[in-house]
Amino acid sequence: MTVRLDGVTFRYPGAPSDAIRNISAACAPGAVTLVTGRLGSGASTLLLTVAGLAPHATGGTRDGVVETLGHDPASAEGRAALAGRVGILFSTPWTQLSGMAYSVSDEVAFGPANLGWDRARIAASVTRSLALAGAAHLSARDPRTLSGGELQRVMLAAILAMEPEVLLLDEPTLELDAESADALVALLPQLAEGAALLVATTDLDRTVDVADRILLLDRGLLVADGAPADVLGAERAVVTGASTAIAEITRAAGCPPPYPLTVDAAVRRFGE
Amino acid sequence: MIVGYTPGRGFLHRAHPFTPFALAGAAIVWAFALPAPTGPALLAVVLAAVALAARLPGALGTALVMAAPFWVFLLLIHWGFGDTPGRALVVGSQVTAILVAFLMVVAAVHPARLVDALVARRVPFAVAYLLAATLQAVPRLRERARAILDAQRCRGLRVSGSVWNRVRAVVPLTVPLVLGALAEVDQRALALEARAAAGVRHRTPLAPPSDTTGERVLRWSMAAGAVAAVLLRVLW
Repeated sequence: MTVRLDGVTFRYPGAPSDAIRNISAACAPGAVTLVTGRLGSGASTLLLTVAGLAPHATGGTRDGVVETLGHDPASAEGRAALAGRVGILFSTPWTQLSGMAYSVSDEVAFGPANLGWDRARIAASVTRSLALAGAAHLSARDPRTLSGGELQRVMLAAILAMEPEVLLLDEPTLELDAESADALVALLPQLAEGAALLVATTDLDRTVDVADRILLLDRGLLVADGAPADVLGAERAVVTGASTAIAEITRAAGCPPPYPLTVDAAVRRFGE
Repeated sequence: MIVGYTPGRGFLHRAHPFTPFALAGAAIVWAFALPAPTGPALLAVVLAAVALAARLPGALGTALVMAAPFWVFLLLIHWGFGDTPGRALVVGSQVTAILVAFLMVVAAVHPARLVDALVARRVPFAVAYLLAATLQAVPRLRERARAILDAQRCRGLRVSGSVWNRVRAVVPLTVPLVLGALAEVDQRALALEARAAAGVRHRTPLAPPSDTTGERVLRWSMAAGAVAAVLLRVLW
């Protein structure tokens, strides 16, 4: 497995309770895995833990085993071995700018340059990742002049340019307009082909169609792990507000679970 | 006002990043070591001419605007209260010269080129990045302050008009500015770590700046000139 968590618990410094508790899961390339739950459920913390940023950069205490590409990502040895191999995209693109670039292509090249790649490889990777993220037309722009949505696409390209084997996206559609968000979601299966992909999101209406697997968190606990229809269509997910609008509507209409998650699924079910 | 890197093609933009820094460093020394009042005044004029020749009128204008309150204050203190204006001329020229020199460097030196130049001289990437980021801190804070002020205006805060209005606007500006900057530090640290900026062993310079013999001679000459000015000041 590319990513393996075994009994992982994490608490931020000074926090009164654990952000995630006793989580065990594994993840490999080839599947779009959504990590979801209500706000504060621990989905973002789970991604930080897989990347090793928690506790290395955030502080705090971690128990249990985290193995990312065969290394403990929070250890000094793991951080050195995993540099650039684990990419994480945050929900606020403006805080991810290097501050050293006055063109989008230089911004995207920041990570590969830190990895010491030769310039030809960097240029090829920048071109490829900008095209993949739908930001090729922005390559000459000053990053500081971009909208939030444009900047998020550029930052996705910046992460992809390092050719990560583990890709962690934390609320990637938060800053995007509807069209850009749909485009990014449509890209997820392609991204999952080359990397273990974990997406922390509450935007389930948009992402559920491309998801292969759901990790449902509730107050830091992993309460369900399985196919979208099984996890998000269950009573527990809908009651806790971690499901789709269609599922909530059908529950409110008095239908029994499992609830359909999309319009198509609802038509199929009630059209019979 | 323009504080921060300004894209351009002047000779300071094209120069090796160390050259504008050498000029600024020497200018600071000269401002205090050259014989007053002619030395600092002449230095300020020469630096202003350099800024114009380097196609950096924005940096020059900003420096003059920033120096203006100092001039008013100094003239009030030294002239308005019966003293001679000579001292005001000296201190005002020193402040102006330093501001022009510093803002020229900030406007002309691309942070990435500076980092590449420092890394090429075996300076650790973390140190080079910290220096470049410091140069960019002022424009970032200005952008953030402008956004906060706009937001506060939308919520009914009056930031123009009387002095009292302006004073009252300081707290609603400062608190979110400082707290926001502190919160952003954490997020930025995470993002930089995720982009392999921590523990960089060998960074590839994207556009390594060329360093000519002429520029090296110029830098050493400026350093020698600064040392000579100090020695003359001490020994004379």
